[in-house]
Amino acid sequence: MLKKTMIRLACALLMAALLPLPAGAQTVVKIGSLNDFTGPTSDVGKDAGLGIREAVQYVNDTGAINGKRIKLFQYDYGYRVPEAVTTYKRFRDFDKVVAVFGWGTGDTEALAPTVARDQMPYLSHSFSAYLADPKKTPYSFIYGTDYSTNARASMTAWYDEVWLKDPRFKAEREKGVKPRFLSFYMKACPYCSAAIKALNDHAAILGFEVGPDQDVPLTALDAKSQILAAKEFKPHLVWHGNIVMSVATVLNDANALGLGADHIVNNWGFDENLVKLTLNSAEGVIGPAVVAFYGEKVPLMDKVVEYTKKMNPGVPQQNRLIRTVQSWVDVLLMREALVRADKAGKLNGPGIKEAFETIRDCTPGLGRPPITITSTDHRPGSFVRVYRVQKGKFVLLEGVDLKKRWPDKWDKWLGW
Amino acid sequence: MYLPSGVYHETYRADHAWWQATFVRAKMAFLVLLLIVGLPLAGNYALSVANIIGYTILSAFGVQLLIGYSGQLTLGHAAFIAVGGYATAIGMLQYGLPYPVSMALGAILAGLWSVLFGLPSARVKGFYLIMTTMAAQFVTVDFIITQYVSRVSGREQSFSLPPGTITVGPWVIDTELKVYYLMIALVTLCTMGMANLLRTRVGRAWIAIRDNDIAAEMMGVNVVRYKLMAFFVAGVLGGLAGSFWISSLYVVSPDHFQFSWSVWLVGVILIGGVGSLHGVIFGSIFVTVLLEALKFAVIPLSDAYPALSTGFLYIKEGVFGLAIVVFLLYEPRGLAYRWQQLKNYFNLWPFAY
Repeated sequence: MLKKTMIRLACALLMAALLPLPAGAQTVVKIGSLNDFTGPTSDVGKDAGLGIREAVQYVNDTGAINGKRIKLFQYDYGYRVPEAVTTYKRFRDFDKVVAVFGWGTGDTEALAPTVARDQMPYLSHSFSAYLADPKKTPYSFIYGTDYSTNARASMTAWYDEVWLKDPRFKAEREKGVKPRFLSFYMKACPYCSAAIKALNDHAAILGFEVGPDQDVPLTALDAKSQILAAKEFKPHLVWHGNIVMSVATVLNDANALGLGADHIVNNWGFDENLVKLTLNSAEGVIGPAVVAFYGEKVPLMDKVVEYTKKMNPGVPQQNRLIRTVQSWVDVLLMREALVRADKAGKLNGPGIKEAFETIRDCTPGLGRPPITITSTDHRPGSFVRVYRVQKGKFVLLEGVDLKKRWPDKWDKWLGW
Repeated sequence: MYLPSGVYHETYRADHAWWQATFVRAKMAFLVLLLIVGLPLAGNYALSVANIIGYTILSAFGVQLLIGYSGQLTLGHAAFIAVGGYATAIGMLQYGLPYPVSMALGAILAGLWSVLFGLPSARVKGFYLIMTTMAAQFVTVDFIITQYVSRVSGREQSFSLPPGTITVGPWVIDTELKVYYLMIALVTLCTMGMANLLRTRVGRAWIAIRDNDIAAEMMGVNVVRYKLMAFFVAGVLGGLAGSFWISSLYVVSPDHFQFSWSVWLVGVILIGGVGSLHGVIFGSIFVTVLLEALKFAVIPLSDAYPALSTGFLYIKEGVFGLAIVVFLLYEPRGLAYRWQQLKNYFNLWPFAY
């Protein structure tokens, strides 16, 4: 008797397993997301990962993709390239997603030829300029101005607003001294070194003297020897290519050892936590922000705050960062492309790619300057807002539009 | 064991054959059929898991040879896999060599590199040898490769290998299925090579050194020479593993060859069974499938508990550690021993004596 029941039960289970998926599967749009919650970039990655989840929930609550809900597959890959590759294969072969939110520069650049072959639209948090040239990486997209553009803009803003105006430099300016410049970054890290070529090129354009770059690991707890080495060059300006924790270490040590230089920081090293971790050493630090800071009064920010409170009440509001806002822009840009692709009836790789490339002067709000993506240029824009820390607050220093300022050079800068 | 009573070998050749009875031959034919035809039907996902298993097998062969057959403890095997992988990638990308040629060069280079770090084994053993092999890991991967080798490509850290880079003659290896067939070929080759090598003079010398190096020396085994030979062969196998793996990766970066992978491989042979080729294969299948199964167990829950998906890497490593502890406590001779017991049971059944 029992045996018969068991056999029936087994048969029923087998049937259930063999049945095709219900028709409801058609109304779901599957998207994969690679995030770093535990690795060396988790100081910004955790917040960004939470932001992705909240923003997807918001999209699903407000009409989704023409009524089709997004099903998000979000995995932590610990900033490890091999883990990213296996997870990407899982997205492609097992979860069968239509598009991917990427994270790090190393893994995104490494996967770029493969996503092109697989025709998988890949919108990454890494803004490496390498990913913006559709000739090389046709299926890679970025939602913020690329690292090279950010670095050039920060350098320009410092030159305009500080070097040419600040009375500290009056004597040297009048003597015709060239501003001395060098960079602190982890040399063996693709993210950190992505903008170096552009920076050194820009230093030449503005007439800077470039000194020896210093190698600082992403997980550095001490940078004194690098500071001392840099000090011999007496730099006026240094650029930081790492992420918040590491940049904070360098700023603190620079302050303690009296480096006496001004600082510009890449966008992933420049956020609310930097100010908290450095107290006075962050005063006057300059950096780009690709979207508004968390809680700034800009369109849609009320929704961001509402969803953070609703979905992650355990994370205190004062700990939320600009990274949440970046993730929202990331998701909303993806939504824009998906909605357009869906309207055209082509919710697949090539269709979504085409849809991305029809985006013109379009912004989801949240302080993101209008985004334009074309089939020949995946850089989302040339306008960068550069901020300066003053009394622990981010104050807008200058909005730099590189295309307007160097119209003849802008096209040549594509892809590096 | 499978011989029906009354049938005896008449030649040494038959006596040494791997598969001595029809039943065994039929079993092996079934295995071949399953691997060549059966598994590819299971889809890309199953194939990608199988490829990870194959890579683990190839990587663990060298560790098994060193620890299980020659008694040389090693915790730096990922370094030699890295040398193989990087040498192959550089050979192809920078010098335009064909993949099989790069692979051979990579394997030999890895073997020589391994001999270099095997030299201390002439003087030290046990824990001290662990230290020197760990030095191989950090000197090779974290210093030489990360700081210098990986940057010759101009992209600072990773060598991108776009699909279509890896070709064997006219055969372009660009899908999971093709990587799978390459893997089957290599694993078969290495298994056969190892199994044969271990029953030659060299293999017997290694086992003698493992069991008692002083006694081995008394019997006329040149201990240093055979130890270095073990390091060379292990390095070559590691190099082959690295060269194979880049075909599945699209990219090579130092991240692939971290210390954790060296430790992982030792765990694989502990679980599979030290001193057994079956152990390498069983151990690799076990840990890889265990972790995939873990994903299936954890990921559906992560809708309700997001912390599970965000902390998955920790869970993964925790479960691996737990598996080793459980095996050491309850199955210290590994899966290979259990397999042997199982076979014995059926062979002797119903008379268990």
